[in-house]
Amino acid sequence: MSNNLPMMGDLGGQGLFAVEEATLSERAEKNEPLGFLFWLCVGWIGLNVVGAILANVLPLQNPLFEDYNAINVGPGLHHLFGTDDLGRDIFARVVYGSRVSIAVGVGAMIIGFGIGAPLGMLAAYRRGRFDTALTTFMYVLLAFPAIIATIAVLSFWTPRALTKIIIVIGLASVPLVYRVIRTATLNVATKDYIIAAKVQGATDRRILLKELLPNIAPIAVSFLLIGIATVITLEGALAFLGLSVNPPTPSWGNMINEARTVLAQNPWLVIFPSLALCLFLLCLNFIGDRLRTHFDVTEVKL
Amino acid sequence: MTTTRKLLVVTDLATTFNTNAGPVPAVGGVSFDLGENETLGIVGESGSGKTVLSRTIMGLQPLTNVTVTGSALVNGFEVVGASEKEKRQIWGTEVAMVFQDPMTSLNPVMRIGKQIDETLRVRLGMDRAAAKTRAIELLELVGIPSPAERYSAYPGQLSGGMRQRVVIATALACSPKLLLADEPTTGLDVTIQAQILNLLDELKQRMKMSVILVTHDLGVVATRTSRIIVMYAGRIVETGTTREVFFNHRMPYTRALLESSPKVSNHSHTRLTTIPGRPPNLLQLAKGCSFAPRCAYATERCHEERPELREAVERGHMFACWNPLTADRELTQ
Repeated sequence: MSNNLPMMGDLGGQGLFAVEEATLSERAEKNEPLGFLFWLCVGWIGLNVVGAILANVLPLQNPLFEDYNAINVGPGLHHLFGTDDLGRDIFARVVYGSRVSIAVGVGAMIIGFGIGAPLGMLAAYRRGRFDTALTTFMYVLLAFPAIIATIAVLSFWTPRALTKIIIVIGLASVPLVYRVIRTATLNVATKDYIIAAKVQGATDRRILLKELLPNIAPIAVSFLLIGIATVITLEGALAFLGLSVNPPTPSWGNMINEARTVLAQNPWLVIFPSLALCLFLLCLNFIGDRLRTHFDVTEVKL
Repeated sequence: MTTTRKLLVVTDLATTFNTNAGPVPAVGGVSFDLGENETLGIVGESGSGKTVLSRTIMGLQPLTNVTVTGSALVNGFEVVGASEKEKRQIWGTEVAMVFQDPMTSLNPVMRIGKQIDETLRVRLGMDRAAAKTRAIELLELVGIPSPAERYSAYPGQLSGGMRQRVVIATALACSPKLLLADEPTTGLDVTIQAQILNLLDELKQRMKMSVILVTHDLGVVATRTSRIIVMYAGRIVETGTTREVFFNHRMPYTRALLESSPKVSNHSHTRLTTIPGRPPNLLQLAKGCSFAPRCAYATERCHEERPELREAVERGHMFACWNPLTADRELTQ
């Protein structure tokens, strides 16, 4: 955005006509680059995802192998991040732990968006009774704290499994996604170009997919990323409460939970998973935020 | 002048919004018709119901809390009461609309060419290549320089005047027989306004369409319409050929409207004539003439009894007033 300011100054007395004369290529250049930090964050997320997917193939130590000759060893060459109180390699556990976090984050958001987004768009486009009923229902759900609901459901839905956690958190996120998407759609659905498309004879389906969806996509994508981050935090909290995947399967959350008891003897144990979690979330949030401002469409830039 | 077949026949059309405060008759029983290749101007101040009228003819109303009665036949198709699916048959091909603000009537995230070709492909079943060729032709038709290059531009890359041209091109994609232009120049620079109006005029000749020009600016309709409808509080208060309405109007409201547009011939610092008071609250319409409270000629009868539209001596000239400005008798001589 700040790039445009000097341009506005340049216009001086020529006013609107100068804008008109700017060629297409000049306009394209005006688009701010996303910046180094953005790509650094993307790189970090990419690295984590690749690590999570390829954890089996990578030359990592067995995250479950308990080496009683190396208990609570500090970071070093043999054990990059050191070992925990059972002699397990922390580096391997952090990498394997990202699997749970990423799977829960992505999986739950797929469910949340899969249900919440179409409903939100439809409600905002259709309006009327359908919208009123659905929105009221979603707001009732929103009024109920998601964490308590998830804790309650997960406590009774045993034995615990990754898929169950994903389903429960995913369903809990539906009202949130619904609200954001509905509001975003509402802003667009009342615009003249939607009515224009309609009186050109476009079907509802076409309007929803071709006219509305591209307009709300930037908001949806940034919310998706921030949503993934939120869900990962939630998984961390659940794991900390012992409600996520069963040990010994590592997840960032349950690693922090387990490390709690030996915090005084071996602080590395809590530092590394926390750092991994923290950096991952920071990057996701930054990317989401950056994308939102980047795609904040057209009119503003004029 | 209008011996040709009627393209649009509106009979007793009324649009009422059912609000919490009570029914609001935004359009209160309007009848008129429009021949082929004719341009009709609908004028009135803000809130006179002209936009609601044009949207009603188009068949565009919110789904709830609106009652539409009467009839609007577009080339034989009854719009009132038709379902959206049925209306889709005439939208674009029989009747199309140009909106007021070109800044909001194009999708900001779609290339302008795509917005035109979508319509061509969906409605006329053209293939990709044919649609693109046609879209570029249309862009050229509405006077967009280097149309092939602009085809892939985003609306944000065009000026307001250019955008309105694109909007017009989009509306014309399926060669509609009737084009409704709802204040097509209000959002534009004065210098661009004339260009757009000339363009509409030229296109009308070329594509043999009828045009309804909805505006509050009498200057806009003066030279470009054959007939004018003057609306006030949701009703037609005067209608006739453009010439009659400008030079021989009977309704004090029409005069007031005409007098309140600034003239170049005025001395500088001439105070602009305004219409005292404000448009009536549609929730509490008086039983008499809606304009009576603001009218200098109002008599007791005006407050008591609503004047219906009646014929003036000239054919096709109608007005709704108890105390017309020019007595008909004098004119017959």
